[in-house]
Amino acid sequence: MNTQTLARLALRHATWLIFAAVVLLFGIGADGFLTAESLGNIIKQASFIGIAAVGITFVLLTRGIDLSVGSVMYLAPLLAGLAMREFGLGVGLGFVVAALAGIAMGAANAFFIVRLGIAPFIVTLASLFFFRGAGTWMTSSRQFDFPPEMLEFGLSSVLGVPLPVVVFALTVIAAHITLARTSFGRQIYALGADPEAARKAGIRKGWVEAAVYMISSGAAAIAGFVLIAQIGRLDVAFGEGREFDVIAAAVLGGASLFGGVGTAIGAAVGATLIQTVKTGLIFLGINLYLQPIALGLVIFVAVLIDGLRSLRVQRMQRRAIRAHTGAD
Amino acid sequence: MSVTSLQKDRRGRARPPRFGSIPRKAGDLILSDFFVLYLSLAYFLVLVPFLPTLTNPANLSNLLSNMWPLLVVAVGQTFVLTVGGIDLSQGAVIGLTSAIAGALLATAGSANVLSNAPIWGVLIGEEGGALNGVPGAVWLGIAAMLLAGALVGLLNGVSVAYLNMPPFMVTLVGLIAIGAFAIWLTQSENIRPLPEAFIKLGKGDIVSLYLGPQDEPRIPRRQVYSFVTWPMLLAISIAVAAHLLLSRTVFGRYVNAVGANRKTAEISGVPVRRVIVTVFVISALCAAAGSILYSARLEAGRPTLGEGAFLLDVIGAVVIGGTSLFGGRGKIIWTVFGVFFFVLLSNTLNLMNLSAFVIDMVKGAVILAAAILNVLRTRLIQERTA
Amino acid sequence: MSTLLRLDNLSRDFFGIPAVRSVTLEVPQGAVLGLVGENGAGKSTLMNMIGGVLPPSSGRLFWRGAPYAPRDAVDAAEAGIAFIHQELNLFHNLTIAENLFIDGFPKRFGLIDRRAIAARAGELLADLELDATPNTLIEELSPGERQLVEIAKALHREAELIIFDEPTTSLTPRETKRLFDVIARLKTSGKTVVFISHVLGDVAEHCDHLAVLRDGQLVAKGPIADFPVPEMIRAMIGRELSGLFPDRTSIPQAEIVFAAEGLGQSGVVENVSFEVRAGEILGLFGLMGSGRSELARILFGLDPHETGTATLAGARLTGGPGRRIAQGMAFVTENRREEGLMMEAPVAENLALVTIDRFGRLPAATVDRAAMREATEKMRDKVQLKAADIASQPAKSLSGGNQQKVVIGKWLMAGPRFFILDEPTRGVDVGAKYEIYALADRLAAEGGAVLFISSEIEELMGVCDRIMVMNRGEIVGKFAERPFSDEAILAAAFREVAA
Repeated sequence: MNTQTLARLALRHATWLIFAAVVLLFGIGADGFLTAESLGNIIKQASFIGIAAVGITFVLLTRGIDLSVGSVMYLAPLLAGLAMREFGLGVGLGFVVAALAGIAMGAANAFFIVRLGIAPFIVTLASLFFFRGAGTWMTSSRQFDFPPEMLEFGLSSVLGVPLPVVVFALTVIAAHITLARTSFGRQIYALGADPEAARKAGIRKGWVEAAVYMISSGAAAIAGFVLIAQIGRLDVAFGEGREFDVIAAAVLGGASLFGGVGTAIGAAVGATLIQTVKTGLIFLGINLYLQPIALGLVIFVAVLIDGLRSLRVQRMQRRAIRAHTGAD
Repeated sequence: MSVTSLQKDRRGRARPPRFGSIPRKAGDLILSDFFVLYLSLAYFLVLVPFLPTLTNPANLSNLLSNMWPLLVVAVGQTFVLTVGGIDLSQGAVIGLTSAIAGALLATAGSANVLSNAPIWGVLIGEEGGALNGVPGAVWLGIAAMLLAGALVGLLNGVSVAYLNMPPFMVTLVGLIAIGAFAIWLTQSENIRPLPEAFIKLGKGDIVSLYLGPQDEPRIPRRQVYSFVTWPMLLAISIAVAAHLLLSRTVFGRYVNAVGANRKTAEISGVPVRRVIVTVFVISALCAAAGSILYSARLEAGRPTLGEGAFLLDVIGAVVIGGTSLFGGRGKIIWTVFGVFFFVLLSNTLNLMNLSAFVIDMVKGAVILAAAILNVLRTRLIQERTA
Repeated sequence: MSTLLRLDNLSRDFFGIPAVRSVTLEVPQGAVLGLVGENGAGKSTLMNMIGGVLPPSSGRLFWRGAPYAPRDAVDAAEAGIAFIHQELNLFHNLTIAENLFIDGFPKRFGLIDRRAIAARAGELLADLELDATPNTLIEELSPGERQLVEIAKALHREAELIIFDEPTTSLTPRETKRLFDVIARLKTSGKTVVFISHVLGDVAEHCDHLAVLRDGQLVAKGPIADFPVPEMIRAMIGRELSGLFPDRTSIPQAEIVFAAEGLGQSGVVENVSFEVRAGEILGLFGLMGSGRSELARILFGLDPHETGTATLAGARLTGGPGRRIAQGMAFVTENRREEGLMMEAPVAENLALVTIDRFGRLPAATVDRAAMREATEKMRDKVQLKAADIASQPAKSLSGGNQQKVVIGKWLMAGPRFFILDEPTRGVDVGAKYEIYALADRLAAEGGAVLFISSEIEELMGVCDRIMVMNRGEIVGKFAERPFSDEAILAAAFREVAA
């Protein structure tokens, strides 16, 4: 294996390399970081951003963007909580209500994006404020307390695996199968690569696009619900600014903002990487205000590597002239 | 291409929205540079009978004073959008430069508030900011703010132009990291008091209006309504300069060319990378200039200035004006009207005594409406040139 | 022979301007119908109506004798019509097999049956003699291979009529030959083909019937034997074209305008040396992928070179495009849409783009708009642009030939001494081609030096003073005296490939 192939492999699997480097770095720098307990905690804490990142990957694959996920994380569980309180629904049904509410919000985004042809950036920026405004209005800007069963549910575990991790794993598996093994999934990739060709190939572009926004919002709603179940209450600022964490996780995991590239597993790794950095910084006792800076640096490096990778791909394509034996 | 993109699809799949046929006159109006201004004036006139306070001198003065800082920041964003980028980091630059203003210019410092901050004892102490008492301190402080802004812009621009990174991600990192850095500098505390000479830049008036009785020996301050103010002069000069730069100069043509087709521009000899870097520097400089006005009006250096919904205001105002998010189509005059409309909207919603979250909801809806309008415009242009 | 498709008085207009006027035509089953016409003659509009992309304004279509009104491309595909566009409709991030089945995958337990799609794709690829596994990503295929995948897609959908729109523009000669083999085989298996092309020799050789469009009207049709190439041209342009190429009005002078000396970049080009004299048109022939466009990019400073030097009028060339333009270079790239024009911007803005800094007035480099208007209007007349209002009309509203004239015009505005033309006549109709050749001649006559890059050997032989051949990044042959021997040139271009 020559250095060129090595460099290409390194660029292609940059996320994993950064991940390994970060774990190693903190492992050396901070005592107790490399224990099963702290690593388990990282995955548990990563599940919140991770679930939503897996969802938003669907949107990014179609060249779209969803800035409303942070507000959906707030509003959908709130609606579920209200339903639980008003109608005495159980936590299981509450979960379903939250997911459905999320899907409905995604459908609202999709209506403007697909039917009216407005840029996703604008639509979801508007709904970011709209959904949060609606939530704040319903709670009159006060904290919302869930019934105690909520906390019980959140702290439960399946075969010793904490609930958030279970939901996270199920989400990743379902998303991976959908993207890699179903025609809907392959059509998402097709749409991201060339929307016009996708339309000509008979892909129901509008429906696929609508579906990805519903999936993204649905995942965000589930993520919010699962995290809130850990706390038992919903603060007014819950989920605020999280859209950026979610997008960062997906991009860190290899998704491209230009569509057609990205995987569910990548998004999960990206989210875990972000959480690893956060936890590691706490282990090292670094000023809380500085945390986002370190995180920003990691994201910057990942995006930088992605930029270099695409530059390199361009260059490699040019190099082909004398490397090949034939002219065609 | 223009032909295929207009085709109909009767199976309910994605298609451009249909608005029915639009009369030529109405079309001219919608395509006019002044459309958003007409819209604002119509909105204003419709609301006057229901909101009598709208035309109060105090309110009008307030309305204008809200417009200037936002205009300055939005002008910078217009450049970046025209080149086909986006700058999410403007808010963070405002926070950072505001903190810098506080740290350098404060006329006194309070250990109670700031002793935990890393700048305590370095840039600021009991005796005030580092520049306190230095001759020309205000100008040096402003220079430092602009320099800090320019550095952030340079970083953004170089990352986008030379390292091939998407503007959205680069400036998102800027938003997160620079914002956090600003907050870390003061440990999230505000710094005050600031010198009078600086504060004057944010609220100092040149022409004011007094409507009270003529015989008062001393005019009560709150009955003086300022109309021509320093912020107004600053904002208008920046907007005029930016307008000339974008629409009348070689550089402006370069910006439009890069936004319209980067490859073509590069081959045609346009210094594409330098243009992109310059545009991001302009955007950050405008943010820093906006920060001067905001900080001075607030009479404090505040690291969290420009957080959260501010981004919506800036991008919303520019997009409402008609500048395209996809590059190649932007005008400062559109942004001026967009900002005016946006500020007018916020103002009227405030007068209706609506709560903050309802205002946010309405803003969101208005941005959507503006975007629909833009789609309509694009279709009109397509129809007329096809 | 029965009629597969009948067009009955088909018309289509755009905003009141007719693009296709009352065309009545039968497409016989199991034959290859050639469709030719200048750009803007209505070929694409006609085919878009058949392919369900556009509805006709009036007239009717009959498919196998029954009325046929496709609602969209999918409808047409279901009826058995496949339309292979110039820009292929493939997804580079999916595999060959996935591309074939993208509109409907066979499933097992709700998931894609990967084995089944690979098996079916494998059969089709074997039929077309495409040497790639079904799980190869499209992005790893050459343009010719991609086109075969597109044909495989049509066969997979059991298309009866396959329409090719300019299928050979991005193919190497070898790939072109393979394509015609495939078309011949399609015909033997009973499929019907419509072949749209500007390469009239190909049409004459491979089609059974011909239909000629001019200004939206069907002006001639019949068996191909009735249409030797000159006859086709006459029908297309409606007048006699004295020759395909204008007479040269200048001869090369002694002065060397441009010289390249040992240019090399590892993996791209090696030891490239040549010179172009004042008044000379130097042809550069090479197959797709031979490095000719890459060489042009290096000459223009868009890509780096490790060894060698390039000089213009004795001065060494350095820096990027901006610097080289200032030194007197111009570069018409092979890809108009992506690299040549700002499609949405007005024609005048496009014309002024290269020289915009020359309209800047101190102190702030404000654009002298009156001077700009005057200069761009002069240029419009000089290149004989058919555009009424260049200040507001966007470039995309022009025909291909006129768009190319805008690209050439924007460079002429700079008054360059050394002109690189990379495939300047690609996708341009016969009439406009002639005008572009005439422009190249005028550039040389005015003392300029021209490097004319092309993969059409006839046009190089028609307009150039000398021709050099590139192969695998090297200059492998130089041919100095007319008449040129196309056999010798091709032999050089194919040298190692044929071995």
